[in-house]
Amino acid sequence: MIPIEYFLTLGAILFGLGLFGVLSRRSAILILMAIELMLAGVSINFIAFASYLDTDAFSGLIFALFVITVAAAEVGLALGIVLRLFRERRTSNVDEASDMRW
Amino acid sequence: MLKRIPLPSQFDRIIISGGITVGAIGLPLGIVLVALVAFGVISAPEMVFFVAAFIVILGALGCVLLPNIVHAALSLTATLIGVAALYLLLMSEFLALVQVLVYGGGVVLLLLFGLMMTNAQDDPVVTDGSQKPFAFLLVSLLIGTFITLLLAGDWGNPTAHVVPFELFGERLFREFAVPIIIVAVLLDVAITGALVNVHTASSDLPEESE
Repeated sequence: MIPIEYFLTLGAILFGLGLFGVLSRRSAILILMAIELMLAGVSINFIAFASYLDTDAFSGLIFALFVITVAAAEVGLALGIVLRLFRERRTSNVDEASDMRW
Repeated sequence: MLKRIPLPSQFDRIIISGGITVGAIGLPLGIVLVALVAFGVISAPEMVFFVAAFIVILGALGCVLLPNIVHAALSLTATLIGVAALYLLLMSEFLALVQVLVYGGGVVLLLLFGLMMTNAQDDPVVTDGSQKPFAFLLVSLLIGTFITLLLAGDWGNPTAHVVPFELFGERLFREFAVPIIIVAVLLDVAITGALVNVHTASSDLPEESE
């Protein structure tokens, strides 16, 4: 049987790589992809806890399902915003869309 | 070296050299893993875990490091399929199914369309921000902290259990009925918002888009 630490370690690494992508990338769509990586890492943790430690209630599975749904909605909406930005400014670089920055 | 080999221009040299590199790393690792299973050092599920983890981490590295955005999107697909394999190892086949359907199919396709409609056709190569070293430092600290903490914790020796399909649906639609309705409203609002956001009257369109 696989120890639960393996899954938790992989989830932590995936989350960290996603955070690295969010911090280092400048294209809006690449930042979205990095956010997907972070969500995947969190989902692995949720499901690992649900199927190893919480076998009666398995709330983690249901939360992972909600995470997937919300992520899909978020990608659709964010891509709409990126397309609008590209149409208005001819760029999808987040550094060039800093009008509302304080 | 790869530039000298005559290839049709449709063949993407980076994808080919990336595949050769992954094969060159993965094949010895695979042989070592099979040998370890054969000698009984690790069990077969652990071997599958290591293969899936290799795919996941390599795909994630490609997704955050590759300069070409289409390559980054394709390696994101590899990561998400590998994550679906991990869900199977965690005995939740329904989530694996949803993962392949929603992520491997829908989200990656949507992202690729987004790339095609923005800058992928003219200039697929992007430069990253200048805070990359800072981000690397922060993330290595974070991953180090996470792994130290979770290895220090005492998890006991739990085993994974299969969640029966009927029980899952029952709990989802009885005890989590209100969140399901809220998520339905959220999806509706997101779709409407995306449509309203992207839609412009034909008089607003810039000249060059016609």
